[in-house]
Amino acid sequence: MKELTIAMPKGRIFEEAYEMLIEAGFNLPEEVEMSRKLMIEIPDEKIRFILAKPMDVPVYVEHGVADIGIAGKDVLLEQRRTVHELLDLKISECYIASAGLPNTKMSEIAPRIATKYPNIAMKYYKGIGEQVEIIELNGSIELAPMIGLADRIVDIVSTGRTLKENGLVEYEHITDVSSRLIANPVSYRMKSERIQDLVKRLKKCVD
Amino acid sequence: MSSIKMFEKPLGMRDTFPEIYEKLEQVRTIGRQLLHARGYEFIKTPSVEYYDTVGKASAIQDAILFKLVDSQGNTLVLRPDMTTPIARVVTSKLLKEKIPQRLAYFENVFRAQQQEGGRPAEFEQMGVELIGDASVYADAEVIATAIELVKAYGIESFKITVGHAGVLSTILSDYTESTEQAKKLNELLVQRNYVGFEEAVQTFDLPKTKTDALLAFIEEALSLSSIEDIEKYMRKNDALNYMQQLWQILSLAGYEEYMAMDFTLSSHMSYYTGMLFEVFAEGSGFPLGNGGRYDGLLEHFGTNVGATGFGLRVDRLIQAMPTQVIETDRVLVLFTPDRFTEALEQANFLREQHKQVTFQSTEGLQDVEAFKAHFPVVNEFMSKEV
Repeated sequence: MKELTIAMPKGRIFEEAYEMLIEAGFNLPEEVEMSRKLMIEIPDEKIRFILAKPMDVPVYVEHGVADIGIAGKDVLLEQRRTVHELLDLKISECYIASAGLPNTKMSEIAPRIATKYPNIAMKYYKGIGEQVEIIELNGSIELAPMIGLADRIVDIVSTGRTLKENGLVEYEHITDVSSRLIANPVSYRMKSERIQDLVKRLKKCVD
Repeated sequence: MSSIKMFEKPLGMRDTFPEIYEKLEQVRTIGRQLLHARGYEFIKTPSVEYYDTVGKASAIQDAILFKLVDSQGNTLVLRPDMTTPIARVVTSKLLKEKIPQRLAYFENVFRAQQQEGGRPAEFEQMGVELIGDASVYADAEVIATAIELVKAYGIESFKITVGHAGVLSTILSDYTESTEQAKKLNELLVQRNYVGFEEAVQTFDLPKTKTDALLAFIEEALSLSSIEDIEKYMRKNDALNYMQQLWQILSLAGYEEYMAMDFTLSSHMSYYTGMLFEVFAEGSGFPLGNGGRYDGLLEHFGTNVGATGFGLRVDRLIQAMPTQVIETDRVLVLFTPDRFTEALEQANFLREQHKQVTFQSTEGLQDVEAFKAHFPVVNEFMSKEV
């Protein structure tokens, strides 16, 4: 059996996905000590987890240092890397939407859009024929309309609480997001049996 | 933009240092020997072509072509692949002399990079084109050549996945209700987005039998153990028969263990009309190369004789190759001016024995010991007075 390297996003998604793997019958220790470790070896199953920033998971997988990985659809849409998208794990479901101050119209000339997802935002507004100026921010996107940096923000929404607390309302629903199982194209062929088996077992847990 | 520093190179351009150069030469020699022995003749085409001919016909997206303008105002491109220039030269000249043509190349191609500056925008490609033979034996030969070539580099763990554009398009059009739907599904397969494929099938609102068939096809397509397994999804047709024959020929030749079927294999290159394949090897995170039948490209150049071939990326081949120490017989002959003739004699003697001899006077060196440290063997002809 060939060793399988799985890139996982740190934090909540890791825990949920880890649970799923146990449910799918993988013999993993119940408790994993993941304080500051970046790599976890499971010799029994010949699996190695690497823990990465969510945005970096597709990078590891694209370069083949991880065979498969778990990545949010938002990251996949934003980065458009050459990876195979195998399975929708239906965990951490949310969506990308545009939001802004209530009852405001976008500026006539070139409305400014603040976002962590410049490519997704650009593609969306291009698609509806709006000319916009994209402002890339790394966090606290909600601030932008409040202090007049942008007309709208494009960001991920799960419960809508953060928007509400900052006095923003949702305008357009752009796309749904959930965690996906992705694979490196070469690993997908060279370790085809292991990956197919994993997909089949996880699929049962998803449905 | 900040000004360009003196040592900078254009985005994606790389220097080839001596160590890599030696490896490239090794790859070239092995490849040339093998392809030559299989009856392929090497060819070279210009680095620059017209955009209107080769640029437009090439399957490489317009956005990543390097474009320039000549003094008459014509748009030129740095060749983004070798298949298209070869198709041009073959249809205009070579096919009139002999048919079929077996041609091989080892050349650099240019594709501008938008992501991550470090990725190469110019890289070596090696491959073959078998033009003017529309039979299944031509496709079998091309796949066999790809397998032998990969093996010649000492790569043991590799896979060739083979599909057929005709089989896929039949299945997609049979189980959907419009050409738009079939096209959408094909696009998703090109991106290898299986999740998107399943979602799209669900949203099409197809009759249940069709939905089920498409979902089962996508689930099963990669674990097929024989061509017969795909038959339940489609009526017997030429494409399927063709694949059966191809499989039979390659099995007879003993290549079955390296091959896997993948009928979801699809390419953004619309000129791939029949069989197509991809080459994967352990050690490189990216495919080594791909190939297939591209009769459509020849039609673009006004000939209808059939063509098939493949190309491998040399940089990825080097990654996947087992690391070998290249044996070098490097000798430093170091001399002081008074013993020049003696040293020269020794150097010439060593060169005749095919040693790689560096002939260096101490006068030209700032740090003799540091320079000597670079060589496994040093012959010294030093002044006796010291």
